[in-house]
Amino acid sequence: MTTAILQVEKLCKSFGGVHAVRDLTFHVAPGEILGLIGPNGSGKSTTVNALAGVFPPTSGEILLAGGHIQTLPEYERVAMGLSRTFQTASIFPEFTVREQLRLGCNVTLKSHPLSSVFGIGRHPGEDEAVESRINDILELTGLAEVAEDKVGTITAAQQRFLMIATTLASEPKIVLLDEPAAGLVSHERKTLSNLIRAIRDTGVSVLVIEHHMALIMEVCDRIVVLNFGSKIAEGTPEEIRNDKAVIDAYLGEAV
Amino acid sequence: MRWNGKTLLWALALVGFILLPQLITVKYYLHLSILALCWVIAAQGQNLIQGYTGYVSIVQAGFMGIGAYSTALMGLHYDLPVWLTILLAPCVTAVFAVLTGYPSLRVKGHYFAVVTLAFNLVIFIVLMNWHDLTQGEAGITGIPKPGGKDSWLNWRDRGTYYYFVLSIAILMTGLAALIVRSRIGQTLIAIRQNEDLVGAIGIAAWKYKLFAFVTSAMYAGLAGAIYAHYQSFINPEIFGVAQSLDAILAVIIGGSGTIAGPVIGAFFVVFLPEYLRFADSFRLILYGLVLVLATIFMPRGIVGVAGDLWAKVKGKPS
Repeated sequence: MTTAILQVEKLCKSFGGVHAVRDLTFHVAPGEILGLIGPNGSGKSTTVNALAGVFPPTSGEILLAGGHIQTLPEYERVAMGLSRTFQTASIFPEFTVREQLRLGCNVTLKSHPLSSVFGIGRHPGEDEAVESRINDILELTGLAEVAEDKVGTITAAQQRFLMIATTLASEPKIVLLDEPAAGLVSHERKTLSNLIRAIRDTGVSVLVIEHHMALIMEVCDRIVVLNFGSKIAEGTPEEIRNDKAVIDAYLGEAV
Repeated sequence: MRWNGKTLLWALALVGFILLPQLITVKYYLHLSILALCWVIAAQGQNLIQGYTGYVSIVQAGFMGIGAYSTALMGLHYDLPVWLTILLAPCVTAVFAVLTGYPSLRVKGHYFAVVTLAFNLVIFIVLMNWHDLTQGEAGITGIPKPGGKDSWLNWRDRGTYYYFVLSIAILMTGLAALIVRSRIGQTLIAIRQNEDLVGAIGIAAWKYKLFAFVTSAMYAGLAGAIYAHYQSFINPEIFGVAQSLDAILAVIIGGSGTIAGPVIGAFFVVFLPEYLRFADSFRLILYGLVLVLATIFMPRGIVGVAGDLWAKVKGKPS
C-alpha cells in the first residue's frame, strides 16, 4: 500500500464536556479528492481545524506523508505541505491579488526574509520562479484578469477562488477546502468543480468539506460522512447515496 | 508620474531640512527642531509596530528612557566613547523589548497594549526610585557631547547637533522605508489586515510581530540616546506614559502606515504645544481638543488628507 498523503488515526477533540470529534479515522490517498460531509454540528469544522493546527487534538494522530504533525503549529504544517481555506472569505483586502499570492509563496522561499531588506544574499532566480508560479496559479484559477486589482474590490466569488489560489501558492501536497461552494451560484459551482479536478490533476490531493451535495457527489472519489462527531459511513459517491445510515442521518430521501 | 511627484516632494523636504537652521531666526526653534528630529526617529519606530503591523505599543517613551539612561550610564561608569554608547543603547533596549514582546506577542489582541503600558509604568518607577543607579528625580547631569574635547566640529553648537540628528533621522527613515518595502514589511502589513490568514499561509506571525516590536524599540533607544547627549541632562519625567501617547499621536496625526507620516507627526507633537502657549492654562485642554478633532476628522492623518487633495487636483479617484 502506498503511503497516504494524509492519515488520521483515532482523532478525538473535546471542548470541555462536549466531544466534537470521536475516534475519527480516515485517509486521503495521493491524487485523491475526498469529501467530508455531515449535518451541522457533526464535527466537520472541528476536524478541519484540528488537521490545520488551529488547536491541538485531544488525542489521536495526524500523519502528513507519513510524518506526525499533530503537535506542530499551523504555519509549520503549511511548510510541510498542508494548506487550508476558510469558510468565510479570508483575504488581505488592501493587497492586490498578485500581492496576496506572492505572500502565499513566501513559505517556499529559501532566502532569508532579512535578505529582502537590503537586497543581498538572495537565491538567484527565486523571484522569477515565484512570479512564474503566480502566473500559473492565476491562469489555473481564472483570476488572471483581476491580478492587479485590490483584493477588497473583486467579487465575492473571485475572493473565494483567490482563497483556493492562495493555498496553491505554498506548493502543497494536500489542500483542505472548507465549504468552498458557500455563496457561489450554479455556474460558479461548475467552475469550482472543474478547478478542484484541475488541482488534483497537478498532483495535489484535495479534502473538500461541503454542504452542497451535488458538488460533493460530482467531484469526489470517496466520501466520509460524519454525524455527532463520529464516522458513520465511508465509500464512493454511489455507495454513500444508497447508505441507509447516511440517508437517515443526513440526506433524507435519496438525492 | 505619481512616483515622480513623491520623489520630488521628498527631495524638497530634504532641501528644506538642510536649509532650516539658516532660515530659523529664533534659536529656540532650532532647539525644538532638534527635539522634533529625535521624535522623528522614535515615531518611525512606533509606526513599524503601530502603523504597519497594527499593534499599538504604549512604551515608546519608556524605551527612549532605557536608551537615554543606557548611553549616559555606560559613558559615566565605564568611560566608553560616546559614539559607542550611542550604538549600544539600542541594543540594550532590544533586550528589554524581547523580554516584554515575547510573552505578549504570542497571543493576539489587546494583551500587547496592556503589557507595554504596564512596562512603561515599571520603567518610570524604576528610573524614579533606583537612586543608586539613576539618581531618581534629580536625574543625570553632565552627559558628554559626541566628539570629545578636541573634535574638529563644535558639538556645543546647536547647528552642528542639528545636522548630526538630521543625518540619523534620514538614515533611520530610509531604513524604515527599506523594511516596509521588503518581504518582512509586506508580512507586517498582512498581519495588520488579517493575522489568521498569515498563519494559514505558513508564516509564523509572532516572529514578525516580535521583529517589528524589537526594531521599533531600537529606534526609540537610539532616539533616547541622541536626546540624552543633546540635552546633557536626563531625568525620568519625559519617559513616562504621557510621552508614549505622544509617539502614538505622532503616528496617527502624521499618517499611520506611511513613511512621511511620522516625520510630519513628530514635528506636530513637538511644535503644537509651543504654539498653544498663548492659551496659558487652557493649553493642555486645547491640545487635547486639537488631537481629538484630528483623530475624528483625519483618521488617515495629514498624509492621508494631503493624498486625497492631491488626487482631487489631479482629477483621479483616491
